[in-house]
Amino acid sequence: MMEKALEVKTLNFYYAGKTHALKNINFPVYKNSITALIGPSGCGKTTLLRCFNRMHDLYPGNRYEGEIIFNGINILSDRIDLIDLRSRIGMVFQKPTPFPMTVFDNIAYGLRLKGIKKRSELSERVEEALKHAALWDEVKDKLHVSAYELSGGQQQRLCIARALAVKPEVLLFDEPTSALDPISTGKIEELVIALKKDITIIIVTHNMQQAARVSDWTGFMMLGELIEFGRTDKIFTNPSEKLTEEYITGRFG
Amino acid sequence: MNRERLRVMQSRIAFVMSTLTALFGIFWLVFIIGDVLIHGIGALNINLFINDPAPAGVEGGGLRNAFVGHLLITLFATLIGVPIGVLGGTFLAEYGRDRGISRFISALSDIMVSVPAIVVGTFVYALLVKPLGHFSGWAGSVALAIIMIPVVLRTTENMLSLVPWTIREAAFALGAPYYKVIIQVVYRGAATGILTGILLSIARVTGEAAPLLFTSFNNAFFSINMNEPIASLTVSIFQYAMGPYDSWHAQAWAAALMITVFILFITLIGRLIIKWRYKR
Amino acid sequence: MFKKRNPVDLTFSFITGIASVSVIIIVIGILYVLFSESSLSIERFGLLKFITSVEWDPVRESFGAAAALYGTLVTTVLALVIAIPVAIGIAIFVTEVAPNFLKGPVGIAIELLAAIPSIIYGMWGLFTLAPIMARYVEPFLQKTIGKLPLVGIFFEGTPLGIDLFTASTILGIMIIPFTASISREAFALTPSVVKESAYAIGATKWEVVKDVVLPYSKLGVFGGIAISLGRALGETMAVAFVLGNKNQITTSLLDAAATVTVKLANEFTEADKDVYLSSLYYLALLLFIMSFVVLAIAKFLLLKAERRPGR
Repeated sequence: MMEKALEVKTLNFYYAGKTHALKNINFPVYKNSITALIGPSGCGKTTLLRCFNRMHDLYPGNRYEGEIIFNGINILSDRIDLIDLRSRIGMVFQKPTPFPMTVFDNIAYGLRLKGIKKRSELSERVEEALKHAALWDEVKDKLHVSAYELSGGQQQRLCIARALAVKPEVLLFDEPTSALDPISTGKIEELVIALKKDITIIIVTHNMQQAARVSDWTGFMMLGELIEFGRTDKIFTNPSEKLTEEYITGRFG
Repeated sequence: MNRERLRVMQSRIAFVMSTLTALFGIFWLVFIIGDVLIHGIGALNINLFINDPAPAGVEGGGLRNAFVGHLLITLFATLIGVPIGVLGGTFLAEYGRDRGISRFISALSDIMVSVPAIVVGTFVYALLVKPLGHFSGWAGSVALAIIMIPVVLRTTENMLSLVPWTIREAAFALGAPYYKVIIQVVYRGAATGILTGILLSIARVTGEAAPLLFTSFNNAFFSINMNEPIASLTVSIFQYAMGPYDSWHAQAWAAALMITVFILFITLIGRLIIKWRYKR
Repeated sequence: MFKKRNPVDLTFSFITGIASVSVIIIVIGILYVLFSESSLSIERFGLLKFITSVEWDPVRESFGAAAALYGTLVTTVLALVIAIPVAIGIAIFVTEVAPNFLKGPVGIAIELLAAIPSIIYGMWGLFTLAPIMARYVEPFLQKTIGKLPLVGIFFEGTPLGIDLFTASTILGIMIIPFTASISREAFALTPSVVKESAYAIGATKWEVVKDVVLPYSKLGVFGGIAISLGRALGETMAVAFVLGNKNQITTSLLDAAATVTVKLANEFTEADKDVYLSSLYYLALLLFIMSFVVLAIAKFLLLKAERRPGR
């Protein structure tokens, strides 16, 4: 049996105490696999993604119910150290978000937060992260240039490298290519597939074809509920639920 | 004449009028700055900077004490006002975001930016001059700081708010606590904007005279003691221009020239920094 | 919330919070001080009597604000009359009329004018404008408008150049750049699509300005005018040199007068009796409240202008 990296158990989520945004979500996330979350706009896939690294805690009034088990512990509990959690479960956002610093400082940021100060160690880990993100060759002579000088696709890979530098176990992607051109999108999809041998990946995408290309497991959501979860090829060729089939075949979008 | 032609003619006339108003505005700019230049340069001489004021009516006096005094007052006003303004603006844009009290303080600051400077002077007089029994450079600096705080606070708040929220989230997602996100990431992103705000607030208070009239007052002698009344360029201009002596008038023009050049210089730099920064 | 568990975060949020509250403390402080310092005068003269009394006699200890308030209002209103049309004209010029290469430089010129401190305007007014007024402009006005029946009373007296007319002119020139700048920003907020629809119907450029841009930016422009009004009320140095500080209510613009700010500037350090100083504080209090109310209205208008995305 495949090992589980995370398990979501009867997860319910309420925005600002009132809007019931996630209803009774249950599914496993297997280690070293890519799990995609798909569904029409407003179905809750991004809301669900942001539960894994407790991003909702940044805004007052949000409430979780249920459990997400990670390494045997429920990470939704009040006693979790969020700073430690976020270095183990990283996130890449929809629009590239380089910090106003050099390429090097961007990647090193998470490392410095963890207390790594020695220049030699930082250089080593920055190079490692950039290679891991398939960006090293393109920026190795530009390490001390402002991150804003990179192209959009490069900036997004920079953000991926930045998240990889702290060696997370899980990496969350929130529609990572929706702001990019097709060529950059292709590069990032290749990268995500290459990353899964070291990391567990959860990716939210509004592009069904992307989910079909890239993921091993897929969850289809609608109106806050997880309608169906299973192996990607099954979901896309022979879904069990009618709603899933209608979404896949483009009856609604 | 058919109706369309009439309308087009009206349009042309209206725009000629508006061009005339623009010329009218530029005219005054050129006239005033030109006058300050002509009279000021004529009165510039080395004595102005190395001599202190001569007794009334005697030639050869200078404004060394006023230059130094003005520098000191402005320096300390900046040291007091800027940190309070930047920190306050940080609260409004970060920890206090979207809270009712923040919107109230923001609106109140906007009002205070334009409040009569002379009233600030009377306020500080009652606070720091009357109880202590004497004017002081400190009182002048406090008065100027009170004027600077709302300006710096609002520009800081605005500049910080321009940094997109997702950049903060990306820093949080790496495990950073909020204060580090603010100091290491957000401040860096907004740095040039905040700096420009500070520069423009300095330019603003450098030209103030009213709040100094009853706080730092004036001093005919050279002094760097902030506990005593201290000379300042603007108050000296007021005194000299209204006085009877031609030599005083000349010095007033020269001082006016120096102040104007300084302020225009800083203002230009501030605006250019903003243009350069936000062009990328 | 996790951010509260971190002690550094707690401290930093506290420090920044206190810094922001300082603004409230300053405003309350000013009100408190002004009230308490003027309490002696308030007790002795009350409100109505103080506002309507033209007397200002330190010897007989009888003080009234009427003359100063009159001067403040007259100079401010006249300054606005001069400044508003010009400022709006300039704003229209920069946004609609000027060819692209001019827009930048003219815009910068306006910003620079706005940065010139008021004491420079005042000094220039004293040495350059006042003599011109005394020698050419005012006699001319006396010979022309001064001869007309009703309007003539505004131009009586000896034209010395140190009077309400000169002071209002300088104040007016001084607030033009600021008003133009805010109007320009208000105009620029009109969405191009709305303007384009008007052009598409065949409107002339002026009609687009008159019927689309101006109505759309109405609130913003009014807000800008209100701020200029607030600033003009509180202006000291621009008028102190050329007004003469004469405590009187006069119908002629060619007469010297006083404003609250000019009175404060000239007499504050000379006030030897308690009730004298207290009356000056009373004036300051009235001025503070007046300008605060005007500026609050301005802020309200500007907030409303920001809020609506379209009509």
